Amino acid sequence: MDNFRKIDIDQYDEDVLLESELYEPDPRDPAQVLDDVKQKVTAVRSSLAKGDITGALDLVLDNAPYGPNVDEAKNINLQTLLSILNSTKATEIPGVVKALSTDAQDTLMKYLYKGMAMPGWGDVSGSVLLGWHEKLTEAAGTGCIVRAMTDRRLV
Amino acid sequence: MSNVLRPYLAAVRSTLTAALTLEDFASQVVERHNKPEVEVGQSKEVLLNPLVISRNENERVLIEPSVNSIRLSIKIKQADEIERILCHKFTRFMMQRAESFVVLRRKPVKGYDISFLITNNHTDTMLKHKIVDFIIQFMEEVDKEISEMKLSLNARARVVAESYLSAFNS
Amino acid sequence: MILLESHNYIIQTTLAEKAIKPSSLDVQFVDFDGVRFRLSTPERKTSLLLSMNIRCWDELVNYGVHDILVREYGGLVKVQPEPEYNVSLEIDLDQIPPEGEQRDAFIKSISLLKRNALAAPFERGFREQKQLEQAGSGQGELMALHYRDEEVIYVQASPDRVTVIFSTVFREETDRIFGKVFLQEFVDARRLPNIQSAPQVLYTTRDPPLEIRHLPGLTDSEDIGYVTFVLFPRHFANPTVAESTISHIQLFRDYLHYHIKCSKAYMHSRMRHRVSEFQKVLNRAKTEAASVDRKTASGRSMSTFSR
Repeated sequence: MDNFRKIDIDQYDEDVLLESELYEPDPRDPAQVLDDVKQKVTAVRSSLAKGDITGALDLVLDNAPYGPNVDEAKNINLQTLLSILNSTKATEIPGVVKALSTDAQDTLMKYLYKGMAMPGWGDVSGSVLLGWHEKLTEAAGTGCIVRAMTDRRLV
Repeated sequence: MSNVLRPYLAAVRSTLTAALTLEDFASQVVERHNKPEVEVGQSKEVLLNPLVISRNENERVLIEPSVNSIRLSIKIKQADEIERILCHKFTRFMMQRAESFVVLRRKPVKGYDISFLITNNHTDTMLKHKIVDFIIQFMEEVDKEISEMKLSLNARARVVAESYLSAFNS
Repeated sequence: MILLESHNYIIQTTLAEKAIKPSSLDVQFVDFDGVRFRLSTPERKTSLLLSMNIRCWDELVNYGVHDILVREYGGLVKVQPEPEYNVSLEIDLDQIPPEGEQRDAFIKSISLLKRNALAAPFERGFREQKQLEQAGSGQGELMALHYRDEEVIYVQASPDRVTVIFSTVFREETDRIFGKVFLQEFVDARRLPNIQSAPQVLYTTRDPPLEIRHLPGLTDSEDIGYVTFVLFPRHFANPTVAESTISHIQLFRDYLHYHIKCSKAYMHSRMRHRVSEFQKVLNRAKTEAASVDRKTASGRSMSTFSR
């Protein structure tokens, strides 16, 4: 009988903040997002074959999937990104991260944290991600980390 | 500092520095309350994305930032039963003294061994870079301390066993 | 002090003192494994009564403790022990040996009362082994000694060896894990060249060794450990060696637990030191200037309870 006391009345408040109001949703349709991501996989592979790491990263980080309902696309994109990160030599990293645009750097930072949050998943290797994180922080500063922390558009 | 540990600690250092931008912030839910938002967790808009820094499954740091407080939880490496019990004893020992370690939480966040809660009050009265130094030094030395304690336990066990058994020779 | 001593220090010092200057006394004290002692002068100052209560007395009687005590103490053993105690020795201070080595040896032998009582099953095991060796086959009786509430010593003779099994309980997880480390070292240490002649040591946790597996009432828990010592004839070849082996092996359980406690104490002091170091690091982060010593009107320092 006392159950009514436990009802969270705040959820009926008109001013209540909804998850969807925190950020602009992706205008694309989930199916299209998945398509885009799959297309990128092949493009990235050819870039990598040419040794164009910056180009490959640009491709992956541009229009990265975010928001709900696109988990598959997110995973594929992370997998693609990891294949780039893992195949890059440690000495090339500083040059590559410097060549990225600020937006791409921010997205890369988000992916690095995402990867570290899932140790043992797929090809995630802590030391590779930490190496990239260090170089990216050197190039982009702590502001980049703050943006990864504050941006609600989770990759 | 060993070379393998360095990037890990560097990542924790930079992330923590980035997260330690706190300000006084009164509760939006309860009037005249001012609580660490990361612990209350009721206002989504003041909580930021939690970040994880990990070396592997057994060694990771979780940083949960919010507008007026951050929570940092550490999972300490525990290779075997002995390290597990030593780590447990050590963290428990510290957490029992949480009131003198103002930034230490009395209980760790689930899945981690020890947690720190840094609020805007702490950043107001303490130097931010020194707090970061403290956390980093803690992480550095706790591993070292646990492995040294393990070594000393083994060394003692050996001496004890040898002196007992060699007494049978006489 | 790494090795524990098998004599009782209180008996030794008290007797030595009273031998010089008799006075009335009534003290009760304890030893390892819940053994209780009472040292008193019920009749006159020069007649001391030393009584001992030991948990497994009935078992010891079966294994021939009386013979040993009579051998060691002769007429000192009272026929009727003091109530609540299992055995009493009556020491007449007027008749103890003169000061010097002889008296020291006498006092020492009194202070070994517990050791001598507990020696019964071991001595019997050694004797049985000799008989079995001549017979060439067979097994001695499995002698159990419930020396603590939950812990037991088993002694069994075989034609070529005497097996001693300790069951020991680790009350908490730390003890259990530390105990494992220690016991593993006992097993490994025998590989060293200088202690190859030591008895063979085996240990198991939870699973009792074959020799005692058939016994009813064994506790089945992670906290229990079994340590087996295999004593070969060389460990009791002559009376001197046998004596030192017995004194030594009796104290195994106490020795092990004593050192587990020592390690824990050491860990604690280390942690205390390390934590105070951390405290210093954190204190360096604090910016407030040192608080000014405030005075009250009368000139006394104000004290606050805050840090």
